[in-house]
Amino acid sequence: MAADSTLLLSLVEEYVSGLQDSKAKDTATGIKDGQFTILQLVEALGLSLTSSQPHTRARGVQLLSEVLQECHEGLTEGEVEVLIAFFENRLKDHYVITPPVLQGLRALTKCTVLPPGSAVSMLRSLFQDVHVQSLMLTERSCVYKMLINLMESREAELKGLGADFVFGFLQSMDGERDPRNLLLAFQIANNIIHRGYDLGKFAEELFEVTSCYFPIDFTPPPNDPHGISKEELVQMLRNVLTGTPKFAEFLLPLIIEKLDSDVLSAKLDSLQTLTACVSQYEHKDLAEFLEGLWASLRREVFQTSSEKIESAGLDALTAITSCLSRSVLNSDSEDSLCTFLDLVLRDCKHHLSEPDLKLVWPSAKLLQAACSASNRASHIITAAVMPSLLEQYDNRTQCSHRRTILEVVQRFVQSVKTSQSAEKEESVFVAFRPSLCTMVFSALNENNSSLQKTATSVLTSLAQQPGLLLDSDIELAVDHLTKLLLAEEDEGVSLAVVECAGALAELYPEAFITKLIPRLKMEMFSDPIDQDNNRAVSEHQSHHAVCKRCLSALAAVSTQARIVHESTPVLLEVLSSAHTGSVGFSVDQVVLACRSLQRIAEKVQDTEETGRCFHDLVIPRLLSLSLQAALQGEESSGHRSPLLEESVLSAMVPVISTSCSRLQPALAEQTALKAVSLFLNGDVSSLPNNSFPSHIQLLKQQGDSWSQSQLVCLLMGCVCSLPRSVEVPQVEQLLSELEEMSCTCTHPLSYTSAAKCFAGLINKRPQGEDLDRLIQRTMKRVYTELDSASSSACTQAFTLLVWVAKALLLRYHPLSTTLTDKLFSLLDNADLGPMAAESFSLLMSDTTDLLNRGCHADVRIMYRQRFFSENSAKLVQGFNAAPQEKKTNYLKALSNIVNNLPKQVQISELPRLLSLLLEALSCPDQAVQLSTLSCLEPVLADPLPALIQQLEALINRLIALNSSPAMSVRIASLRCIHAVSHFPEHEILPFRARVLRALARPLDDKKRLVRTEAVRARGEWFLLGSPGGR
Amino acid sequence: MSGGTHLENANPVIFQRTGERLQTATEEDEDFHDPIDDREIFDMIRSINDPEHPLSLEELNVVEQIRVKVNDAESIVGIEFTPTIPHCSMATLIGLSIKVKLLRSLPNRFKIDVHITPGTHASEDAVNKQLADKERVAAALENSSLLEVVNQCLSTKSS
Amino acid sequence: MKEGLSLVQKLSGHPDSRCWFVSWSPNGTLLASCGGDKTIRIWGREGESWVCKSVLEDGHQRTVRKVSWSPCGNYLASASFDATTSIWKKKDNQDFESLTVLEGHENEVKCVAWAPSGNLLATCSRDKSVWVWEVDEEDEYECVTVLNSHTQDVKHVVWHPTQELLASASYDNNICLYKEDDDDWECRATLQGHTSTVWGLSFDAAGQRLASCSDDRSVKIWKDYSSGSGAGGDLSWKCVCTLSGFHGRTVYDVAWCRLTGALATACGDDGVRVFKEDETSDPDQPVFSLSAQVTKAHNQDVNCVNWNPKEAGLLASCSDDGEIAIWRFQEED
Repeated sequence: MAADSTLLLSLVEEYVSGLQDSKAKDTATGIKDGQFTILQLVEALGLSLTSSQPHTRARGVQLLSEVLQECHEGLTEGEVEVLIAFFENRLKDHYVITPPVLQGLRALTKCTVLPPGSAVSMLRSLFQDVHVQSLMLTERSCVYKMLINLMESREAELKGLGADFVFGFLQSMDGERDPRNLLLAFQIANNIIHRGYDLGKFAEELFEVTSCYFPIDFTPPPNDPHGISKEELVQMLRNVLTGTPKFAEFLLPLIIEKLDSDVLSAKLDSLQTLTACVSQYEHKDLAEFLEGLWASLRREVFQTSSEKIESAGLDALTAITSCLSRSVLNSDSEDSLCTFLDLVLRDCKHHLSEPDLKLVWPSAKLLQAACSASNRASHIITAAVMPSLLEQYDNRTQCSHRRTILEVVQRFVQSVKTSQSAEKEESVFVAFRPSLCTMVFSALNENNSSLQKTATSVLTSLAQQPGLLLDSDIELAVDHLTKLLLAEEDEGVSLAVVECAGALAELYPEAFITKLIPRLKMEMFSDPIDQDNNRAVSEHQSHHAVCKRCLSALAAVSTQARIVHESTPVLLEVLSSAHTGSVGFSVDQVVLACRSLQRIAEKVQDTEETGRCFHDLVIPRLLSLSLQAALQGEESSGHRSPLLEESVLSAMVPVISTSCSRLQPALAEQTALKAVSLFLNGDVSSLPNNSFPSHIQLLKQQGDSWSQSQLVCLLMGCVCSLPRSVEVPQVEQLLSELEEMSCTCTHPLSYTSAAKCFAGLINKRPQGEDLDRLIQRTMKRVYTELDSASSSACTQAFTLLVWVAKALLLRYHPLSTTLTDKLFSLLDNADLGPMAAESFSLLMSDTTDLLNRGCHADVRIMYRQRFFSENSAKLVQGFNAAPQEKKTNYLKALSNIVNNLPKQVQISELPRLLSLLLEALSCPDQAVQLSTLSCLEPVLADPLPALIQQLEALINRLIALNSSPAMSVRIASLRCIHAVSHFPEHEILPFRARVLRALARPLDDKKRLVRTEAVRARGEWFLLGSPGGR
Repeated sequence: MSGGTHLENANPVIFQRTGERLQTATEEDEDFHDPIDDREIFDMIRSINDPEHPLSLEELNVVEQIRVKVNDAESIVGIEFTPTIPHCSMATLIGLSIKVKLLRSLPNRFKIDVHITPGTHASEDAVNKQLADKERVAAALENSSLLEVVNQCLSTKSS
Repeated sequence: MKEGLSLVQKLSGHPDSRCWFVSWSPNGTLLASCGGDKTIRIWGREGESWVCKSVLEDGHQRTVRKVSWSPCGNYLASASFDATTSIWKKKDNQDFESLTVLEGHENEVKCVAWAPSGNLLATCSRDKSVWVWEVDEEDEYECVTVLNSHTQDVKHVVWHPTQELLASASYDNNICLYKEDDDDWECRATLQGHTSTVWGLSFDAAGQRLASCSDDRSVKIWKDYSSGSGAGGDLSWKCVCTLSGFHGRTVYDVAWCRLTGALATACGDDGVRVFKEDETSDPDQPVFSLSAQVTKAHNQDVNCVNWNPKEAGLLASCSDDGEIAIWRFQEED
């Protein structure tokens, strides 16, 4: 013990007189280890604490405080009591002692064993003896943190202080200027308000002391080490100011005043604060300020200088209106909502009907903002404005005016839609239903495309108003839409009509089933090409366009199972009539019909019902029709079925794969079984119209005939998109036949599809020796083909290699590396080099028809990044080692890989690859240039230091590409130059003159698209370093 | 524009913006020579910001496609612009912005004439003469406060 | 030999900027040019070609609009949009040093011209005034008069080849002629006729006639009909010929060759043209015919034409594209 006390004394001595700061830590360790107690330390400090030198006393207290920060947790209640009394007493001492005392007290506020009453006593001493704002920054922060700690642990005691606590705090923070401390002070104020502390008579004072910072004007210093943002301060202060209705009478006038400010951010902050506060208020808090607030809001929206201000102003108006709408009406009180909306209507309504439509938009936006706030508000506003709008539509003669009115009406309908949630109330537009319908239908019939387009949006909005339109209205609407679908030539209008039909079909399927679909069908089939050939070409073309719109409309309206049941048979009939030649549909139209089927498959959610439709009806029909066409063969005399065409088959694949990927498990299994039996065993029993021969062997090429072998793509559609849980029957045999076909078949679509199908199946096979053996066997065959110089099946083998590599890469299969390494080694191959370079694009990009997550493929996240990080070094080495004429292959491979990486990865990897990419820009291959540019462009948005170092080279190469013979390269290089204009000004200013001179040339490019990019880029470079530019 | 500033024409009529130009097949064709046409010139100037309203010249109907005439073969561009009100003191500034925008955007073979739509401004002739005087235009663009306003008119809106 | 203008050389005079003006030194060996890049360049012959001998930078803060050689060829005056006129003195080598800067105009100085005596200098400005400065032996410059006869921007000033007679051209469409009388400079004639800005003026060798060019796309020839040489009497100059229909846009400059009598013009339609007077025509109704033209002499507006004072037929022109061209005008034998 004696030894310990000697040790303690020497520690104290070394700290206080020897000024060795590290001794504080040693002392704390001693206390934690139980060598001595805190009170023994106080005792040992005795001499220092009674020294006549204030600095020695301060040093003594500092030791105690530092020790306490380390070991406040182990203190007993008795010790804490003694220490508090000690520190409180020291607060009255010389001012140099105050900082360590505050540190000590702050450490004690963290004690869990704080004796009752000590919080109050500490605060009383603090408020009484310390003038906070004359302290240094860290001490002030110490005081705030004490308060925060105590508010967390001793809320009841602090509240016991009553308004004295608030007063003490007000005195402490009044005049605070440091942003870090302000954040703490705002936090305390926020606690006071939100945790129900008694403000007493100090509500106004608390408001004054905090609102003097509003609106926050603070720019963090460059390289701010504290990371305090203006937004943080704004948000904290806003929480304080908007926290209680008690502030309403002070805050609202302040906001009105600050809205007059010239500073944009001050206006914005004021508007957002207004929106935030009124959500806490009741109508009586607002009553006396309504006129002033309205005047300011109106002014901001009418004369706004920015869209941000406008939208903040409109939000505030909505918030005010909804606050007023919340007020419960009692008979004797004035209805403040009505009073307020009267103001709004008085100032805005007349603008809606002025002859030149001046200020129509700002007025409409204000009215709509109010309208969207509540059901009551929307009733009041629509009742006031709709009649005049409807009347004006009839009276106006100029199309642009009528369109404006329609647009205004549209916005009103939409603004109401958002406010009606679950309520089953009648639509506010019921009274105007007949006139609204008349207006929309008449606009649909106008000979003005923009009017028609607007009318379709209004119609959609009206239909979306629950319970507004009657069945008869809908039928009429469908008639109008049908008529436009068939007759309207304007592409924009057609698109709008199709979209509108889709939206309406979702809500009112009946009218579409009974009217629209039969009519479209009739129209498509009514008009086969006249055998006499006496129809005018233009008529023929217009029929083609009508068909195209009908096909796309069929897809658009197929929004639910009931409609799908009606629309898909029509589409299938298009295919079969095309096949038989009974109606002369062109290949294009057949492809469009497939696209429509695909859209339906994508759009309709996988209900049992629609799944069945595709499983029972669509897929078998597609297989059956294609098979019929294939059996007729490519050289059948007379009519050649469009279903032999590659484009048609390629359009069928996604129909099949999309629907298969969504099948319920039982149906999926059936599909797999039927497809495999058909292709492997020639089992045609599952197909409709069954009159097929019995010995078909679809996976064997019959001589040079490809019509049957190419059907393998449909097999791929069926089996490669099934859920992984579905067992593909006879898979070993299937794989072996696919391998054979892909290696030996000479027809590109056939061998490619076989390779893809093989890959799609491999990707889903379970890991294990079986799979490894299979892959090794197949690759052995592939390598043999690739390595034998005379092989005629080189391309086929290569195709299989790439697809299998992709299938394995996606799932991180260990063997994928050997395959991709093979691809890298082929970059040096004289014949296959360019193909190998191209293949990396396939390897890294998403494929739509298989090997994606939609098709349930095994795709690991970030496989691209992984592949890139494992292989980029190889690529760079390969590039450096390659002979000059092969370097292009490496650059092309690199740009294909980098181009498909996520932007974040591109940015982090760019510095290492930059010199290679710059090299790629100088590579004569246009595809390399283009993909390098498209990979550079997003990266240029945030200039990296590495890029800035290479600016000279970058700009020179970009400029050189401005005169590329390929317009896509010219466009992409100009976009990059445009992006560079946003680099830090001091870095790029030296290039300004050179770039401007270089950009003068593309201004006269022969292609408009190039000129447009040049104009944009040059405009930005002109602004650079010029007053008012940037 | 600050809340306190008095606007000459506080209530302008606002017109709809034209959509983006639709691309045609010939524009995608490498070999086809797309002539510089009225719409292309109009697209260069329609998004110029008005010096006093937060709106584009197109939205204020100050510029219209029908008042843009270009002859690509002869390298001549003629623009007529219509000030929002007949006494608009900003007319010269607007004309200057249009002229500068075209100087920056067109190949330098073009002769660019910017005029006020006849009969729409009280000082039509004086403004036209000033805009046609390239020496004055050059001197104006060396005046940094004027250049600042012009550049602001030509800046792409960030909001 | 065939008539015509043949290009001797094109010089990239003021790259990325416009070249406003070119002027031959009195002995014809040097050419001074100035432009939007705020510099003045001095060009001289080296072998067969013309090369830049020196660049005078940092003399002006803004565009240098025009330059003028003193008759002795040892001084160069430059007028700038920065509202100042600088006087440069030729050193032993090809270099020039800034001697003094004349301040006083409120805004852009548009033109400066040295009188044939070398003792007077005239400047004009957008501030609508024309100033005459006197030069003493110590190279001190003193403003002797400020003339406010124009109601607009004064574009150009030019001295009579032999007398102390000054002419100025303005945005107000007029030309003013000034003479000194009893130590007092006065406007003694206002020549009206152009319907838009008058951009350039040039006296013929004898000083009997004055050519003017304008934004109205015409060139006018004015003839002196003043009675006697009475110092106090008004001058009488009349328009005796108008060349219209030749120029597609504004005519920015006109130059009368004092050796051959050929009249050259610089036009906003990118063309340079040379006119010759029909010697048989009535002196009171002279006829000028287009003798040579290059329609695409430059890629952009031609701002200035200037005949070499010593070598007949050598013509310099300059353009908005920053280029300077040197031409040889060949006449029919």
